[in-house]
Amino acid sequence: MPFDQLDLKRAIAGDERAMQRLWSQHAPHIDAVVRRLCGDPELAADISQEVWMQIFRALPSYRGDSQFGTWAHRIAVNRTLNALRKIRRIAKLEIDIEDDSAITENDSDRTFMAESIEQAMNRLSPGARAVFVLHDIEGYTHGEIGEELGITPGGSKSQLFKARAKLRTLLAHLVDDSPTAGKRKGHVAFV
Amino acid sequence: MSHLSEEQLDQIIAAERGREQEPLNDWRTIAARAREEGLIRESDSSGYRGSSQPWMQAAAAILILIGGIAIGRTTIGLPTVTQSAVNNVAAATPAPSQPTGATAPAASPSPVPASDASFASVDDAADALNRALRDYQRASQYIAATNALTKSPDSTAIYTARAAAFDKIVNATESALRTAPRDPVINQYYLATMGAQVATRQMASVGMRGF
Repeated sequence: MPFDQLDLKRAIAGDERAMQRLWSQHAPHIDAVVRRLCGDPELAADISQEVWMQIFRALPSYRGDSQFGTWAHRIAVNRTLNALRKIRRIAKLEIDIEDDSAITENDSDRTFMAESIEQAMNRLSPGARAVFVLHDIEGYTHGEIGEELGITPGGSKSQLFKARAKLRTLLAHLVDDSPTAGKRKGHVAFV
Repeated sequence: MSHLSEEQLDQIIAAERGREQEPLNDWRTIAARAREEGLIRESDSSGYRGSSQPWMQAAAAILILIGGIAIGRTTIGLPTVTQSAVNNVAAATPAPSQPTGATAPAASPSPVPASDASFASVDDAADALNRALRDYQRASQYIAATNALTKSPDSTAIYTARAAAFDKIVNATESALRTAPRDPVINQYYLATMGAQVATRQMASVGMRGF
């Protein structure tokens, strides 16, 4: 059921059902960006709660001049990046490509490719991952990313270049001819 | 070390962009936080089972019940709302100002405010209410059996509609009873509603048989 103006008014008034409708409709996309920016699913779940509280608190300020999803998405990105800054993740040094500290997740429902890209993104530095997620997945411009992250557009481009270069290496096994990769090649549509 | 091409990476990114993901939390977790912060208003929360809800239903039920009594009396020529159940209670209760069992004539109603009705205890008042309700049921049944006015298409429709309304009240009072099974007031509402429902159905069926 689409989230309409009446639902919005009810949600602002504290109607749980209306709030749940709003959440159900937008949580998959909002939570996805939080998850991608965080990397760590547990941390992402915590930050997602904060994001949704912020969205509900800010509901009265939603003017309707943009799509609700876009408005909420902005809040999600801002809140997530702020949270990550707080825990000094953004300031961390880039993890070496050869580092094995990637966070892995055993979720049988995930496709092999989805797992691979998540693991690869987790091997990026937090800053490079944020730039990559915002630019290549969420469609932000370098100018917008610069504003969000407090860096120059040139810095954003540079981070993206590095991120993509690493990802091309980290995801190479998807097209490798090794027996292990060969078995799983069928999962990758483009090969 | 091999590399993906830029195009291949773009394809992977496009697939990732379109991938559906489950929310990171369930709604209960989010709702609990929102409730904690006062963002959810309990009275508007459908998922919340507050104790006030059945009481409100019970209150609504008794209002409808008394309204139904008033409408019924109007339609069958009995004293109207000014002599509602409260007055009947006062009339049926032995009181210095009124002889026991005396009822005011329909043509000259003399309403007695509830505050004027004197009872020795809550039990006395409850007994009086029981008697009044029994009187109402007996009177309704008597009128249904004898009054020509009940044997008209209009009155049959009215009683049928009232019976349907009583079904709703019974549902509401049953819901209230599940929350407070020992509450005497709710039990009273429930029994009274059931009695009135039976009487109304009888009246409706008498009306139908008359045609």
